[in-house]
Amino acid sequence: MESPQNIKKRLKSVDNINKITKAMEMVAATKMRKSQEIALSSRPYAFLALDFLATISSLDQKLPELFEKRDVKKVLFVLVSSDKGLAGAFNSSVFRKFELHMKEGPKGKPEDYAHEEKLYVAVGEKAFNYLSKKGYNVIKKFTSVGDYTTPEQVKPLTEFLVEGYLSKKWDRVVAISTHFRSALKQETHVRRVLPIDFDHIKETVQQIIPERGKFAELIKEHQISFVPDKAKLSEYLIEPSAEQVLQKLAEHLFFVQIYHLILEANASEHSARRMAMKTASDNASDLGEALNLQYNKSRQSRITTEISEISAGAEALN
Amino acid sequence: MELSIYSLKNVLFQGKASLLNCQTIMGEITVLDNHEALISVLSAGIIRIADENKKEQFFPIKSGFLEVKPNSEVRCIVEQ
Repeated sequence: MESPQNIKKRLKSVDNINKITKAMEMVAATKMRKSQEIALSSRPYAFLALDFLATISSLDQKLPELFEKRDVKKVLFVLVSSDKGLAGAFNSSVFRKFELHMKEGPKGKPEDYAHEEKLYVAVGEKAFNYLSKKGYNVIKKFTSVGDYTTPEQVKPLTEFLVEGYLSKKWDRVVAISTHFRSALKQETHVRRVLPIDFDHIKETVQQIIPERGKFAELIKEHQISFVPDKAKLSEYLIEPSAEQVLQKLAEHLFFVQIYHLILEANASEHSARRMAMKTASDNASDLGEALNLQYNKSRQSRITTEISEISAGAEALN
Repeated sequence: MELSIYSLKNVLFQGKASLLNCQTIMGEITVLDNHEALISVLSAGIIRIADENKKEQFFPIKSGFLEVKPNSEVRCIVEQ
């Protein structure tokens, strides 16, 4: 049996690990709540922007270029991951989904991606590492976002995407990111973000509210109707012109959509980390208990040996 | 009029107001009660509002949208 001193040493280090992971769990839990709140606070804005779009697009306007579908020759993939590790399966599930998507192609047809040129953008250090290790053509990376995304940090990404799309560097943008369903459940989603699809944006905006948990009851209070009153609409004076307003609005909505994608990934990252750290500290306390038992046994057996030695010595003297 | 101003981070103003002054890309406008229905794009500048007690508030913005509904309801989304 191992010496009690050795076991004691191991016991101590396991205890330390337990303390560290517990602390990280607490920190991640707070960060998760905060990032959820950030996502929720931008909700009125997103709903109103959608409402605007619904109003204006019912005017039978020619849709701006960002909405237009064209022949797809080049596809841009945006992988949204975290900068730091220790977040359980958070990053690897994004990569797994990406690989599956590449293998199966959109709508389950593998040949769809065979003839198209593929470009990649990495959001987060981990995605960049993964893509460059695989030897993919990463044209740009966006990292060091920190714990919470700000609109200022998302701006360069959306501007880059829109600019490339308008100058025909790519004809479609697909984002692979994590959707925050609840604190315990996250899913990786593959979404086409460009060309803009009205229903896709609506979906993203509605999904801001997690299905379960603290904020879930908010889901009922906001119902947007997308059947604008045509008669009423003609009363509107639109300055400078419906086309220009729509153009600006499209850019705005695209920004809002990407912003939410990243906010959601943020919240998911923190909750994945919380879960990973919880498992780690649970394991550490299990291990600690086992080691403690082992320590006691080894100590007991040493005492028994010593006593039997003493009594054997005393016996010998008699 | 009922006025609400939202930004991505928070709700800047919500409630009754008597005046809204802002820069649109067509020029500076002031919205009072019973304004004509209007949709417009805001440009960088300062939004000035006066609430019911004529107390003024100012919000600097970079861009945004303005909607005036026929029933004296005004809604803005702005970027700061």
